[in-house]
Amino acid sequence: MLPDLWRYRDLVAGLVATELKVKYRGSALGFLWSLLSPLALIVIYTVAFRYIARIQIDRFSLFLVSGILPWAFFASSATSSTQSLMVNASLLKKVYFPRAIVPASTVLFQFVQLVLALTVFLPFVFAIRGGVPWSMALYPAVLTLQVVFVLGVALALSVLTVAFRDLRHLTEVGLTMLFWLTPIVYPLSMVPDALRPLFALNPMTAFVSAYQDIAYWGRAPAAGGFAAMAAWAATSLAAGWLVFRWRAPSLVEDL
Amino acid sequence: MKTPAAIEVRGVWKRFILRHNRVETLKDRVLATFDPRRRERREWFWALQDVSLEVRQGETLGLIGPNGSGKSTLLRLIARTLFPTRGEIAVRGRVSPMLEVGVGFHLELTGQENVYLNGSLLGLPRREIERLYPSIVAFAELEDFIDVPVKNYSSGMQARLGFAVAAHLNPDVLVIDEGLSVGDEAFQRKCQERMAAFRAEGKTIMFVSHNLRAVSALCDRVCLLVRGRVVAVGPPPEVIPRYEALSAAVRSGVADRILGPELGPRRRRLARERQGDPAARTP
Repeated sequence: MLPDLWRYRDLVAGLVATELKVKYRGSALGFLWSLLSPLALIVIYTVAFRYIARIQIDRFSLFLVSGILPWAFFASSATSSTQSLMVNASLLKKVYFPRAIVPASTVLFQFVQLVLALTVFLPFVFAIRGGVPWSMALYPAVLTLQVVFVLGVALALSVLTVAFRDLRHLTEVGLTMLFWLTPIVYPLSMVPDALRPLFALNPMTAFVSAYQDIAYWGRAPAAGGFAAMAAWAATSLAAGWLVFRWRAPSLVEDL
Repeated sequence: MKTPAAIEVRGVWKRFILRHNRVETLKDRVLATFDPRRRERREWFWALQDVSLEVRQGETLGLIGPNGSGKSTLLRLIARTLFPTRGEIAVRGRVSPMLEVGVGFHLELTGQENVYLNGSLLGLPRREIERLYPSIVAFAELEDFIDVPVKNYSSGMQARLGFAVAAHLNPDVLVIDEGLSVGDEAFQRKCQERMAAFRAEGKTIMFVSHNLRAVSALCDRVCLLVRGRVVAVGPPPEVIPRYEALSAAVRSGVADRILGPELGPRRRRLARERQGDPAARTP
């Protein structure tokens, strides 16, 4: 798949640009919209959890930022991948190109949005925190593992939604539930022992905790954390690729 | 010396699964396990049956036949948007397909953006598209509308841009489905001229058309496809009369005497099983 992505890089760039244009055409604020939604979440959750529910954690909004941006990348990639093949049906029906390029471009588009959001929000985090922690050196490694994980999810969801159109709604409901079962607005240490196994089964727990370690606590994630992320990434990509390859040949007939 | 084949179709069968009462959602899938009436009924439909065909480099081949005979399916297989159920298809060189009206257009994008996207879909480098862009716009006669979203185009404008893109992106093999029935009289003539120029450049063309006059003017050979089978391949003066005779037979209701009775997919399969046809046993 990687050689395909490189050979068709102009097409990948074209599809990413298309998504940008279609999304922001005719809106005055344009790209700023994509910063507005995480900002709104951060403000609301800070009010709700810091001042109303009174979660005891220093500089709550910094804690929130470090976990919520990677979550948003995951959630919007999953949601938009369910529609990606349907939206590009007119292209898929008429020209041959490696089909995986479509969900991969969707993930890349969301990744670009994440990177832009990070470049805006992270400097604030470091300014308030007073300096960049050394552990930020590990950020690219965690990000890479998460991109691989998200790509696998997107590959599977994109083709499965062609067969089962209501998967889109199920994905949205599932993501809402998963959000509250991921330690984003509260630290993992607050989770009662009885519920811990449930959290261990949630792949996003591993990723979000690692981001919080690196950007908020200023420490390296535990070795077990890296192992878990690598395992989730590998499993997700392998499963996603298998599902995609299984469905891809008859894809156009079902669109 | 015989020129090498640009398109080789060897023993191709294509089966579509007709899904009556189609189950499209997980909800329906779950309900169907409890309620048999909600279950999907699947039927096979063989759109192409044992089709073999060779198009040599530089040749123009016309594909004719009644509606539903599998012409478009064959073009899609050659364009690789569909895969054959069995058999093989080999195409040498870059294919520029124009299936249905328009190429693959994204309706929200402008004409210009679509030209670039289509170029990259066909694997052309950006610089090459930049070079070809002016002639595409000029051919489509859309200079005044090129920065308008394609969704605001008339169907004629979309078709013009589609043909212009397919014909100018410098393909080795041009595959056109009903490309000649688009646009007005003047544009149709222009398309035919463009195809003649292609032919003169030694490129391979395969196209579907119901315009028999255009077919006999442009094609070296014609293939007549009926009910998924190749009935005749040869020079236009030989094949076109057969099609005309067939159409006359259909009109006077004696077609089944020539072609055998038209069977539904299920009965056709049973008939093939009785004849011991291997394709009837594919799962």
